[in-house]
Amino acid sequence: MPRNQSSEFSEHGDDSSVREVHANGLCMKTTEVEAKLDEGNILEAESSLREGLSLNFEEARALLGRLEYQRGNVEGALRVFEGIDLQAAIQRLQPFAAEKQTSRKSRSRTESPHVVSQHAASLVLEAIYLKAKSLQKLGRLSEAANECKSVLDAVERIFHQGIPDVQVDNKLQETVSHAVELLPELWKQAGCYPEAMLSYRRALLSQWNLDNDCCARIQKAFAVFLLYSGVEAGPPSLAVQVDGSYVPKNNLEEAILLLLILMRKFSLGIVQWDPSVMEHLTFALSLCSQTSVLAKQVEEIMPGVYHRIDRWNTLALCYSGAGQNRVALNLLRKSLHKHERPDDLTALLLAAKICSDDSLLAAEGVGYAQRAITTASKGVEEHLKGVGLRVQGLCLGKQAKISSSDFERSHLQSEALKSLEAALVLEPNNTDLIFELGVQYAEHRNLDAALRFAKLFVDATGGSLLKGWRLLALVLSAQQRFSEAEVVTDAALDETAKWEQGPLLRLKAKLRISQSLPLDAIDTYKYLLALVQAQRKSFGPVRSISQAEDDKDNEFEVWHGLANLYSGLSHWKDAEICLAKARESKAYSAEALQTEGIMHEKRGQIHEALSAYINALLLEPCYVPCKILISGLLLKMGPAALPVARGLLADALRIEPTNRLAWYYLGLVHKDDGRMADATDCFQAASMLEESDPVESFSSAV
Amino acid sequence: MDYQSATTPTSATAASPTGGPASKARAAIVALSSIVTAIPPSLSSSENPALALLHDPDVASQVSSLLRRPDSGSGDDNLCRWLYDTFHSGDPDLHLAVLRYVPTVAGVYLSRASQRKPHAGFECVLLAIYAHVTTARGGQSVTVTLPDVSHPSVYHETRDNSAKSIATDLNLAVVSPSLEPHGTVRSSRRSRIVGVALELYHSRIAQMPVGSKIDFCEFCVVWSGLTGDSYKDDSEEIYGGGDANPSRIEGQGTRSGRIPMPWELLQPVLRILGHCILAPAPAKEKEPLDAAAAAACRSLHARSLHDIDPKAILATGSLLRLRKIGLDSGQEVGSD
Repeated sequence: MPRNQSSEFSEHGDDSSVREVHANGLCMKTTEVEAKLDEGNILEAESSLREGLSLNFEEARALLGRLEYQRGNVEGALRVFEGIDLQAAIQRLQPFAAEKQTSRKSRSRTESPHVVSQHAASLVLEAIYLKAKSLQKLGRLSEAANECKSVLDAVERIFHQGIPDVQVDNKLQETVSHAVELLPELWKQAGCYPEAMLSYRRALLSQWNLDNDCCARIQKAFAVFLLYSGVEAGPPSLAVQVDGSYVPKNNLEEAILLLLILMRKFSLGIVQWDPSVMEHLTFALSLCSQTSVLAKQVEEIMPGVYHRIDRWNTLALCYSGAGQNRVALNLLRKSLHKHERPDDLTALLLAAKICSDDSLLAAEGVGYAQRAITTASKGVEEHLKGVGLRVQGLCLGKQAKISSSDFERSHLQSEALKSLEAALVLEPNNTDLIFELGVQYAEHRNLDAALRFAKLFVDATGGSLLKGWRLLALVLSAQQRFSEAEVVTDAALDETAKWEQGPLLRLKAKLRISQSLPLDAIDTYKYLLALVQAQRKSFGPVRSISQAEDDKDNEFEVWHGLANLYSGLSHWKDAEICLAKARESKAYSAEALQTEGIMHEKRGQIHEALSAYINALLLEPCYVPCKILISGLLLKMGPAALPVARGLLADALRIEPTNRLAWYYLGLVHKDDGRMADATDCFQAASMLEESDPVESFSSAV
Repeated sequence: MDYQSATTPTSATAASPTGGPASKARAAIVALSSIVTAIPPSLSSSENPALALLHDPDVASQVSSLLRRPDSGSGDDNLCRWLYDTFHSGDPDLHLAVLRYVPTVAGVYLSRASQRKPHAGFECVLLAIYAHVTTARGGQSVTVTLPDVSHPSVYHETRDNSAKSIATDLNLAVVSPSLEPHGTVRSSRRSRIVGVALELYHSRIAQMPVGSKIDFCEFCVVWSGLTGDSYKDDSEEIYGGGDANPSRIEGQGTRSGRIPMPWELLQPVLRILGHCILAPAPAKEKEPLDAAAAAACRSLHARSLHDIDPKAILATGSLLRLRKIGLDSGQEVGSD
């Protein structure tokens, strides 16, 4: 920028230790002025500047103040600034603005009065800005904020239409930008949060002609303020709202909007990457449970910002948080590859956890868990060893479910228990672990241990989790202690809000059936039905799809339970009505077909029964109850059908090794075939299991 | 356990005809003086007694220690009754004076929930706050519509005008689900009720004294049941002193006070914690709060890893990294 008619302070003489003040084409050494200032003689310093550089009073003072400020003499600077009537100076700048308005059409850049006025404005505004800075440094924050605000007010009065791009000299623009950025900071430091909020909005919604970096800094600072200050901003005023544009209605929305805009600026290369923006966005979106949106942002980050492994791991967390575990697992497989970062504990644990949900992945999960245990044992995150053991136990337990041989299965099961017990030693207060041990022992049919852990879990969680109550009731039912199980269910009902009582009421109905109290069970079902229907009505038609699905499931379960009950009492008419109702909520269901088949079978309609069972298997090829029922029918059809029955039962036992009926029928098959020893074994297994059958499967408690 | 039916001296005075805000606050202070041992006389004479009460450290420490006594929180606990009555006075400043103790009430209550002792006193206070929020919100959920930056907003324009139709998929996020009224604390709703009380605390957190926030951070450590020492960003500290300490594992896992932390509780906790770490604050408050908040954040991060909870891992991890970025860049704010 050319040194021009007005004032320009330069320090480019610094190297040669000679600093100069330039103004109006004249030049003075700063040392002369400074010497006078050091003597405390402001007036003389001022007059020497006025004479030396032919400046007016305000300009000379402003220059002096800046000199003091830049020397670090904040108090001195303030004294000088306080000697100027800055408001009056601003007033004097107004005509310039008015004139500017009228001469808008015929303006030209070289028109000298404008330029001169602009420089006068620049000098005065800078003086106010520096006064604000001085006050800030002296800790007089509200005064500083008010001064700073007057800079912006002045600019708005001078430039009605916002700051024009081409017409403003750099110095003035710089002062304005600084003041715009400083004002909210000052209010923040002064503890005046509502004012800070307003000044941020003013900074971002008015036309200050800010450069990209400055604007990005303000946007980030505002987003941070919105996210964490705890002061609710309220929506922006209607004046700034444009038709069709997105208007945030609360702090969180506004902060996320600003952060997303910043992310967009990064990817367009308008401003430089700032890692903290991503972290703030991560925090905000995680709190809203919108990690899938976060994943999209992470995917859009330009290559080279994050290491690919960090990106994969973050994405895996995002997708897993959004319930897309398979996508997460695929990403983790990449990042845990031996050429990448195979020892990353968080990734290993997450991968193992995801695998523990699926029998087919469980073996892979065991591998991750073992690596996690090894890594945790030798690293700083030793406290995660227990977590590794826990997920290893879960994976082993899941793996046992699909194992093809008895030997392997029992081996895996005992390994699973060992692993979970080892984890419990490290984390005796981990309630999740206690629950998982309870389920594992129950599935292993070690009911005493299962009962102990189920009780422990209910106590440790203060009964706050439904699944604990359910597990306890199921274990008691497996021990044939039905009335106690019902007491537990009632206690659980007391602790549960109305809309969440469905599963407990179903359990209660089944417990009553087990106690041969069919009429009581019918009462329970009736109540449950009323509840389900009331629930649907009270939430109206606008419910989410998943909730609607839940409702249907609930209703189906109720009608189906009633159908079973009536069928057990040989009330065929009622049973058929209930079954039809059940099919209204779920047309294709193996359970309903099973009930239908049983009803046919009981009435001697063997072929109809068989076709219902077979249809059920076509719907769900692994549906164990129908495999057993078909075998039962085949048994009655003579020796030719025995091998088929045997095959079906073996299949059923592979899927559900603890199925008492399957063992019983297999015993019958062996007996009919004349293999007495085998038959004895099977009957023995069946009789042992009989005493340990819960009214619903243990895994339903999870 | 229902305080409403009981006529107490406080509610009688609060309802007196001269019941301006200041006289309500004075009545509350008089009532409190019969519960705690010493109340500075300056409280009642101050211009805004409710705010003086809120910010008085002596009273706060007396009340906090009473709340932490082993026999606190029962149905006949006078202090809980005072909190309940004072909250019901309807004066916003007195609300703050009660909310100030939400961290302690929630902290003590949740840590004891497994002991199966009745805590009707605590529960009444929490239910009163829950009911207040339920009424204020009309039971509605709090949602956030996530913006799509390919559309213009108040803060940006887009060049692509073809995408003017707003009907693209805006993501609707539920920040706090809808509320149904509860007359008692059913244990399965306990986390939610406390979580809602914490949501209200968070909405007033800018007015809370720093001591209350520090209390909150300390309870976070207790709730997590973990120290999270291995997440100190001062890496030398870990490698230097850590390995020689075999008792670390015990310290990590065996704290009593560990509670289940479902998302409905954890989410408001994390929002408050974000404030404690990253909100602007005067320097003299910042330092003690920052230490407590950092410890809480480390503990909750350790806990999120123990629970393998992806959302919590992301949120706590980013808080820890943000704090580190803040420390590394020094006093970024205020100097330019």
